[in-house]
Amino acid sequence: MTFISRRDLLKRAAVVGAAATASADVARAFQASDDVAPHGPAEAGHYAGAAHEMAAAREPLENLTATEADLLDAIVARLIPTDANGPGATEARAAHYIDRALGGALASSRQAYTAGLEALDRYSRSSRGKPFTALSATDQDSVLIDVETGAATGFPERSSVFFALVLNHTQQGTFGDPYYGGNANFVGWDLVGYPGVRTMVTAAEQQRLEKHELTPNHKSAYDYESFTKATASLSRQSSGREGA
Amino acid sequence: MMIEKGVVPLFGVSGWRKGVRPLFRCLLALLAAATLGAQTAPQKIVVGSPTLIADQRIPRDYTPDGRNVSPPLTWSQVPAGTKELAVICEDPDAGNPPPFTHWVVYKIPVTAKGLPEGLPIDPAAAMPAEIAGAIQGVSGFRRPIYRGPAPPPGKPHHYHFVVYALDVVLDLKPGLNRAELLAAIQGHIIGQGELVAIYER
Repeated sequence: MTFISRRDLLKRAAVVGAAATASADVARAFQASDDVAPHGPAEAGHYAGAAHEMAAAREPLENLTATEADLLDAIVARLIPTDANGPGATEARAAHYIDRALGGALASSRQAYTAGLEALDRYSRSSRGKPFTALSATDQDSVLIDVETGAATGFPERSSVFFALVLNHTQQGTFGDPYYGGNANFVGWDLVGYPGVRTMVTAAEQQRLEKHELTPNHKSAYDYESFTKATASLSRQSSGREGA
Repeated sequence: MMIEKGVVPLFGVSGWRKGVRPLFRCLLALLAAATLGAQTAPQKIVVGSPTLIADQRIPRDYTPDGRNVSPPLTWSQVPAGTKELAVICEDPDAGNPPPFTHWVVYKIPVTAKGLPEGLPIDPAAAMPAEIAGAIQGVSGFRRPIYRGPAPPPGKPHHYHFVVYALDVVLDLKPGLNRAELLAAIQGHIIGQGELVAIYER
């Protein structure tokens, strides 16, 4: 059972490629939150070991409560599961991305997460007799399908609205630039065969790319000074407006 | 611009023609259908269930208010000459246009005496041995699995579990929805029966 097909993944790869070079809006939104400034572009290489560290212990949450984060971890693990195709949203740390983003670019969704996660767990208990995290993977899928189709009850809006929100953010956290706290160790890009952000591609590289033989460079957009300068400039403009 | 008086009745005639021609076609189609129906009237199959009761409320475990597993069905008096079976669960009280489809199962072996409870929701999972080879088609929820009644609050909805007996083994591909399945099995239905149960929220 998957909530995202292989074909969707490949389509997503194209979107990620575009987003990686044109995500100034998201970048600007993140600059507004104070956690971004200390993470310079030089830190991108540190994401390589992040997935292993996460397995040991959860690092401090930035926005979600521990209960919410446990539930979200369980949800994203089923939306893009770890399976024969490779790692999933868990390894990509999609929930970590969402936790961070809820204090920045996705702050407007914070209330939707509070209400939606609470409703999902209540629905899980009323229909399946257990909290969501205690259900088998099959029963978790069954709950999520009912949330996806709008058949689940007790949500502020149709449950499908909350499902679409979480799925969208899980995809961002799995396939977005690792700079934003997801796609840890570039697992999302490796999964869809995205070769990494490149400012130039030689003819030889282009040929290897077309043969799917180009080795991913595991570079974030923030590994490039030109991109960093551009976002820093946008950030200055943005903060200037806010100060006026 | 000027409008000639003569144009108005012409429009009128044109409209009348437009209205009547489809009516004739409908009548012809109905006559044809009635004739065909008379030739191949399906024999009645008796459809039952260990847990569903005709005209009674569907237990909540077959709905998203419970575990939302597929209900067990049984059938008998399947006509001689049946080669395979198909099942559709539909709600004529919903859907745009009605009915709303909750379940589509086809390529059910003729040896099966029914469907066991809880068919897999993972498309990669194998079907139970007694219905090996059966395929779940796409429901109104756009997934190839059973999803039970989830009517909006208000009046009770009726859920028709329809069983079809087919006189040939058709080369039916995965991924068919109700309309596609019905189109594919048209002319091959030699037995048909249903169990109707209700649900409301």
